[in-house]
Amino acid sequence: MKPITFRITAEQFSTLHAHLFPGDGDEHGAVLLAGISETERETRFLVREVLLAKDGADYVPGKFGYRMLTADFVARASHKCAQQKLCYFAVHCHGGTDSVGFSAVDLESHKRGYPALIDITNGGPVGALVFAINAVAGEIWTRHGTAALTGMTVVGLNHRRLFPEPIPRRNGCAATFDRQALIFGEIGQQHLAQAKVGIIGLGGVGSLINELVARLGVGEIVAIDYDRIESSNRSRVVDSTPWDALEWLSNSRWRWLRRLAGRWSRRKVRIAERVACKANPKVRFHALPNDVTSLQVAQQLADADFLFLCADSMQSRLVFNALVHQYLIPGIQIGSKVPVDAEGRVGNIFSVERLVLPDSGGGCLLCNQLIVASKLQEEALSPAERERQAYVKGVKAPSVITLNALGSSQAANDFLFSFLGLFNASLASAGYRMHFARERKWKAVDVESEETCLHCSGSPRSAFARGDRHSLPCKAK
Amino acid sequence: MKAEIETAIQEIRDAFGCALEIERDADGGAFVKALNLELGPQYEPDRSWVAFRITYQYPFADVYPHMVVPNLRRRDGKALGEAFHSENQAWEPPSGRQPAVMVSRSSKHRDPAVETAAIKLAKVLDWIRTR
Repeated sequence: MKPITFRITAEQFSTLHAHLFPGDGDEHGAVLLAGISETERETRFLVREVLLAKDGADYVPGKFGYRMLTADFVARASHKCAQQKLCYFAVHCHGGTDSVGFSAVDLESHKRGYPALIDITNGGPVGALVFAINAVAGEIWTRHGTAALTGMTVVGLNHRRLFPEPIPRRNGCAATFDRQALIFGEIGQQHLAQAKVGIIGLGGVGSLINELVARLGVGEIVAIDYDRIESSNRSRVVDSTPWDALEWLSNSRWRWLRRLAGRWSRRKVRIAERVACKANPKVRFHALPNDVTSLQVAQQLADADFLFLCADSMQSRLVFNALVHQYLIPGIQIGSKVPVDAEGRVGNIFSVERLVLPDSGGGCLLCNQLIVASKLQEEALSPAERERQAYVKGVKAPSVITLNALGSSQAANDFLFSFLGLFNASLASAGYRMHFARERKWKAVDVESEETCLHCSGSPRSAFARGDRHSLPCKAK
Repeated sequence: MKAEIETAIQEIRDAFGCALEIERDADGGAFVKALNLELGPQYEPDRSWVAFRITYQYPFADVYPHMVVPNLRRRDGKALGEAFHSENQAWEPPSGRQPAVMVSRSSKHRDPAVETAAIKLAKVLDWIRTR
């Protein structure tokens, strides 16, 4: 049976945890409203809203057990689920630290209440979670039966994972990884081996990210890029060869032979696959020579654990930002720019690394004006339409591998530290970072958030944590 | 057609009460032509169809440019002015190409939670009428 997991943002978890464990040793309750993401790999519930039950008013002495949610509180929460196509999960806490489970009284109460709640919420799923300080167990109810929760991921600057009981550790890890495992332990290496990472764009930046995450021992990589390698890319794309670019054709004096090179040269995702498999023969690599704006392609990322955006179109930025917030998958956008004026003078060269966490204030690209509406519209036009409407034609942008390497190594390192919880706990927020190469300086950039953002806010129209029950900004099938 | 685009078209219908010619694009967006809208007495003709494309990434994508009748001119003989482009412009839905004057008004700092295709059409019409 595939795993059933929850994803919750660090901010939501902190609010919930403080409510459940205020230090009085007593039992407290809440309800989580969640979206859902179902793939072959995993069923994920995505916490959209945490409703805290007020002691004595919403959470009262029980008829069968110690405490219970009042009928009115349950009715309000379940009605909201029905209206907003969300799933209902009741939450309470038990004592203990690293292990937790339901009592017999808890399980009986599920049998009494959840078949009806499935109907009330228009089909569910519904269920319950029980927390200890460092553990969570759950029972999920659908029309087809019940299933146990595998675990919960707290998505934040430092990821945190909770399970019903401590997960068994494998003894030893491959010699390839033993030096890095000295930093984050065998359990960290195990998390990397179980991770699925999506890379959008396998050009100068993405090919570096691909090699770095493969060498870290990430277990599954989804690489998306429809482009083929050209000679002019080879100085930046890792491991690309003259043969990949069919340079014996592309350097020909005959135009028709050069055209054949453009049509038959190797896909960038295939080069990335070769690199990743050499670095880590156990990697499960999915090479998708396609566009992330295609719905079927974007859906391949819905169950990823981390995303890297290494493509420079507005359309791909929008899809990336939607995936981050709709499916609670953190990601990093990486790029570099060499401004050149009309006289050919090179301006203030910079690399940028934008960590985007699925929180309001987590660096949403929409809130920070990094997704330009007019560019989205222009990119949707055909080349002929674009030319007729007098938009600027695509010009080759200056680029160099060393600049790409600055952003990509910082991004891959931030992924590692975030995913394995290695950042200092005192580090409050991530924000964006820019490196000005000519000044040899990294600069932090504060991020903004909009209250009504359609991606990251909790506003009724936002896609935040809705998962499969909200459309992605992709081309229709 | 994507649900967001259908909603946008219904909002235009509700707001303007005019006849609409709708054609789907291949990606889930739509080509929309709103018929017989008033441009203002300073123009000849003073009414026109206004056509525009709502692309599949709406409401995040801007709705622009807008196209109007190809023979549009000012009654005072002056040039149509900034943002009007007539050379080699056409409205090109799947059903065929039609010459047009393009009105290119992109929205700066557009809020996708607020600016609908109907609001954008109202803004563009207002802009044309006050030239």
